Amino acid sequence: MAATRGSSRRVFELFVSQIHWTLATKELRDYFAQFGTVRKCTLPFDKETGFHKGFCWIGFSSEEGLRNALQKESHILDGIKLQVQQQKRRSFRSQYTNEGETDMS
Amino acid sequence: KVLGVPGLPNYHSTQEYVLQAITGFCFLFSTHLIYQARLFAIAPHQKGKVQEEPVLSVQNKQAQHFDWALNKLDSSVRRTGRITRTLLLRIFHDMCRTGYPSSNQALLLLRSCGSLLPEVPLCERTELAHMIWGKLQDLGAVYDASHYNALLKVYLQNEHKFSPTEFLSKMEEANVQPNRVTYQRLIAAYCNEGDIEGASKILGFMKMKELPITEAVFSSLVTGHARTGDMENAENIFSVMRDAGIEPGPDTYLALLNAYAEKGDINSVKQILEKIEKMEGYLMDRDLLQVIYSLAKAGYPQYVPDILSQMRYERGYIPDAMNLSLNLITQGLEDTAFQVFKSFPTLPSENHSETSMDYGNFFLQHCVHMDKPLSKLKQFCDELKEANMHSSPLQFTLYCALESKKAALAINLMKTMKEEGLPLRPHYSWPLLVGYQKEKNVQGTIGVLKAMHELGVEPDVETYTNYVLTNFDDIQTFRALLQENGCPFETEGLSVAALRHEAIYGTLENITELLYKDGRYCQTPPGPAEAVGYFLYNLIDSMSDSEVQAKEEHLRQYFHQLKKMNVVIPTNIYRGIRNLLAAYHVPELIKVCGYINTEVSALEEELEKLKAEKQPIGNVLKQLIVALCAEENMQKALEVKAKYEPDMVVGGYAALINLCCRHDNVEDAMNLKEEVFRKDSSVALDTNKYLALVKVLGKHGRLEDAINILKEIKEKDIPIKDTTVTSFFHILNAAAMRGEVETVNRLHESILTLGLAKPSTNLCTPLITVHLEKDDVPSALEATIDCYKKYGKMPRLHDILCRLIEQGNTELLQKAMDFVSQERGEMMMLYDIFFAFLNTGKYKEAKKIIETPGLRARPGSLQWFAEKCIATNQMETLENMVEMTQKLFECDRDEMYYYLLKLCKISNDWRKAEATWTKMQEENVIPRARTLRLLADTLKNNGQEVPFDVPEVICDNTKAVSRSIFCSNIFNIRTVVFIISPWCSTIYYRIRSIAETHIKGFTLNDAASSLLIITQVRRDYLKDAISTLKKVLESDMVPMSLAVIRLIQALAMKGDLESICTVEKMVENLATSIGLSRMLFVNNTVLAHIKKPATDLFLQYVDAGRVDDARFLLQVIIYQERNSSGQKIKTLLDLVPDFPDMKIVYSYLLKSLDNDVVSAKTLFEKMKSENIHTDEIFLKRLAVLLKNAGEPVPFTEPPESFHFYVNKLTQERQEISSHAE
Repeated sequence: MAATRGSSRRVFELFVSQIHWTLATKELRDYFAQFGTVRKCTLPFDKETGFHKGFCWIGFSSEEGLRNALQKESHILDGIKLQVQQQKRRSFRSQYTNEGETDMS
Repeated sequence: KVLGVPGLPNYHSTQEYVLQAITGFCFLFSTHLIYQARLFAIAPHQKGKVQEEPVLSVQNKQAQHFDWALNKLDSSVRRTGRITRTLLLRIFHDMCRTGYPSSNQALLLLRSCGSLLPEVPLCERTELAHMIWGKLQDLGAVYDASHYNALLKVYLQNEHKFSPTEFLSKMEEANVQPNRVTYQRLIAAYCNEGDIEGASKILGFMKMKELPITEAVFSSLVTGHARTGDMENAENIFSVMRDAGIEPGPDTYLALLNAYAEKGDINSVKQILEKIEKMEGYLMDRDLLQVIYSLAKAGYPQYVPDILSQMRYERGYIPDAMNLSLNLITQGLEDTAFQVFKSFPTLPSENHSETSMDYGNFFLQHCVHMDKPLSKLKQFCDELKEANMHSSPLQFTLYCALESKKAALAINLMKTMKEEGLPLRPHYSWPLLVGYQKEKNVQGTIGVLKAMHELGVEPDVETYTNYVLTNFDDIQTFRALLQENGCPFETEGLSVAALRHEAIYGTLENITELLYKDGRYCQTPPGPAEAVGYFLYNLIDSMSDSEVQAKEEHLRQYFHQLKKMNVVIPTNIYRGIRNLLAAYHVPELIKVCGYINTEVSALEEELEKLKAEKQPIGNVLKQLIVALCAEENMQKALEVKAKYEPDMVVGGYAALINLCCRHDNVEDAMNLKEEVFRKDSSVALDTNKYLALVKVLGKHGRLEDAINILKEIKEKDIPIKDTTVTSFFHILNAAAMRGEVETVNRLHESILTLGLAKPSTNLCTPLITVHLEKDDVPSALEATIDCYKKYGKMPRLHDILCRLIEQGNTELLQKAMDFVSQERGEMMMLYDIFFAFLNTGKYKEAKKIIETPGLRARPGSLQWFAEKCIATNQMETLENMVEMTQKLFECDRDEMYYYLLKLCKISNDWRKAEATWTKMQEENVIPRARTLRLLADTLKNNGQEVPFDVPEVICDNTKAVSRSIFCSNIFNIRTVVFIISPWCSTIYYRIRSIAETHIKGFTLNDAASSLLIITQVRRDYLKDAISTLKKVLESDMVPMSLAVIRLIQALAMKGDLESICTVEKMVENLATSIGLSRMLFVNNTVLAHIKKPATDLFLQYVDAGRVDDARFLLQVIIYQERNSSGQKIKTLLDLVPDFPDMKIVYSYLLKSLDNDVVSAKTLFEKMKSENIHTDEIFLKRLAVLLKNAGEPVPFTEPPESFHFYVNKLTQERQEISSHAE
């Protein structure tokens, strides 16, 4: 069922890291809105410390927004550079790979 | 004449000593200590009787832990020259937990309590040392002189006042003999107090014991005299030293420099420095930093720049200066600390970001930790900012204040920031609020909100929701409190948060009330409809499947209520909500939800209007139909359709067909479909509408029609997505649940034969389900066997086995087991039956199965079952599985307990979690970090104390492989221990004898035997290894391929051809099944030959016409004999002039002639004279060789690269060999 929901609500995601602690969702949203409609902005906060974890996901509603954002060479917010990259789908590799044993070692 | 001790031994230079003491001690100690630790861990216990295994594992653990702790401290000291209190305490608590601190561990910790802790106030460092001393002693650590000396060093570094005589008598009580270092340090202690008499007393002891007097003693005496105010005598020590035959070194000069610095006599300091320079003496920056410390401490900061200007900025200056800075801050001398900090030459970047160059973070942070006043902080920040050293010093200082929960300071800093025009944001208050939230400190929370309000920062929704409202039982009380404290209590943020809070914790009735009685929601420009719509959408979106299902009734009432209030929501939002609800499988709610999407009336009016104006109505008609469909008003939609039939467009039909399907109205759905096709036969519906038709047709038994629709999907090439396949499953499954065997079978067959989906376990499942639903287990078994034959899938086997067990149908059970055993192997069968017994609560039988000799862990299968248990909340079953697999070979115990804890967390059962933790300890399982975190979470969520250090989330992966062996069960740990230790055999024999006497019928299993072989190979007991292998094979066990490989390799190295042959014969039958390649034997035979004259074999090969083997041998020889310049091959050439393929020999020969141009040319001539064809690789290689040597190339050089020809040749060879096959 998750797949059904996921595909019907596809968003175009950026992974943003090295976010300064002074910034929060609002600032990031406002900043990335210049590239396209920001559909979601997930900035996880650590419930133990009250600080965010320094990374977030920005979801654009169109691929265009994503592309625009990626095209910009560097993203500087409040004087500090953000690390911006496309969110890649995670691939799962087999956990149990056999150790290769060569005949002559 | 105390000082006249002749024959002073050669000591390390003092400088070296200081160096060691301050930075490198860990490193210098490490080799020695690790060695000791290992020895301690592995050497058999000598104290009397044989101990049981736990001792062994404890010691082993201890050794590992020691390495780890040492590395941690070591890297910290190496990187920064300091250790943090947190790190030290963490290691200390860790050691305490393991229970048996070794004496070197104790030493390591004690040693760290002095100047390595610049961030800790002096007295606290000593307190730490005492605490560690006492606690470790209680735990059984045994102290020797090294510990007492370490403690003395710490006292000195921490300027701790104590009585040296008492110290000595304590040592005496403990029966520990003081040594030279003890006396030296005691003298230093006396001298620091200016007590020359005391120092002399100790010197007397030293003389009595004929201990040598070192420079350190003289340096102490310089300090001693100086501190009594007698500078003349202090200076005199220098001549006394020379009389004693010791040339004063930097240490003594440093003592004198410090003495003048303490007096504020900068001129003398400068003079001495000049004198040292003239003498070509050398003081390190580190020494000068000490002078700065003395100046600052004695109250002469004005002279600090004089010393700073003398720095050479050696390597390591910055960490040293940083530590001085920190130390000065700790001791209240932050102004001098700042001076020192500003003297840093090229400031290193403290963070990776290129755009910001922020220096001084360490400084600001420590100032905050040491509670420096705001004015001071502001002053530092201003200076940093002005000097362009830091881009945002105030923000960083605020960060530090927040991090260390210094609320008052944080608020004041924010005030300052506001004055400076810096933005303040609501989330700045979160770290403080989090603290109060944890403490349930309402006053604190309100205080922060009030302060923020005064700063003009109104909390946003997140602030209220996540950090504030959870502290209050009801919102009214909270509002009242806000009002009392002069805070706004009717902000939009609060209202929305209240709403959300209710949505999460409260009832929907309350939300409705909030939504409608609170006028604020209706003020926003798009009107209440929009707001309510989005609220609803987000509310439902944020709920999980089960939540929606659980709250279905609530939602239904809520929708009704909204309807009663004449609330409508825009269609686009309604559609979104409808999709969500569809995904949650709550079709009933969709219907109710439709009531509040009422734009029908408006559309009807418009339609009538357009009709009256004789304008085209197609579009509006479609909208109306769609709106009616959204309302689920089928009857009216059909009426509208009938009324305006000529104007109907495809979109309207499609919506209507779908609506009829949803309402189970198969007749109308099919009629509509035919109707629209009559209008336009090329029309295709979308995938979902077709699927809806298939579903409803199947449900009404119109199987042929359903199959026709499937055919149409194929014919019209309707796109099939993953979700379509899922829908197929649901259609099939629905039919299966109705028990309609024919429907299921035929639909499934059609889907597959039409190629609409590939066979999968999921899609096959209904074929079996349909029988199980009718409780017809024999047919179900038949169906699954059939399925396996047709599609290679075995769906629902587990359920079938469970049913058979429940029914006691042994005959069929036997049949099923035979089938599985035959198709998937005995091991899989055993697991299948094990899980079935577990699942049906037949634990005794399950236990018997899992104890089958030779059975080993299959992590994938165990995981499948564990996750099944977790998903269905079967705690008892899971617990039984975990317990029963305790002895299972290679079973990852941590993994098993992890599953159990996962379920504990889900069911929020902290008692069970805690019991699991105890069990793990009982079993000596070392938990992985994630297991501990899971346990900690469960305990914390239930307000329980966490009895251990929760590991941080850091690169767990790297450790996973190396540590995983320690997570396995006990027997595994034993085997691992004997593999890794060089004393392994002794231990192994001990373990085996213990096992044999304690465990009835104990024999080593396959893997353990294989490990034994590997061990024997390592210890070079090759004969033993061969006989072990023989025993293994005789008892029908299967050795691991690795064991055979290691054995063969070792034999090859010995040149033992005969034994290689023997082993090859022994494992002949097994070779392929355990994955031993023939090349293993060939290669190693060759290797064995190399250890003998190689030519023998080469000739044998040539004789036997085994060209490939001969070629390979040449290759190996060339590889091995690179340095002998082709001499061997030349010899070989002489020996075998008729080698069948001389081309190859020559090419290898050229290859081996690294840069021997003359030989290469001779070779080329020889080949030409013998008319041997030279291939491109040969020519290319030769050309390169000649060109590199600056020689002309007497032939046309092949134009492509070398690699090109290599690839070409490889390809050619492959083609030849494939033709040959």
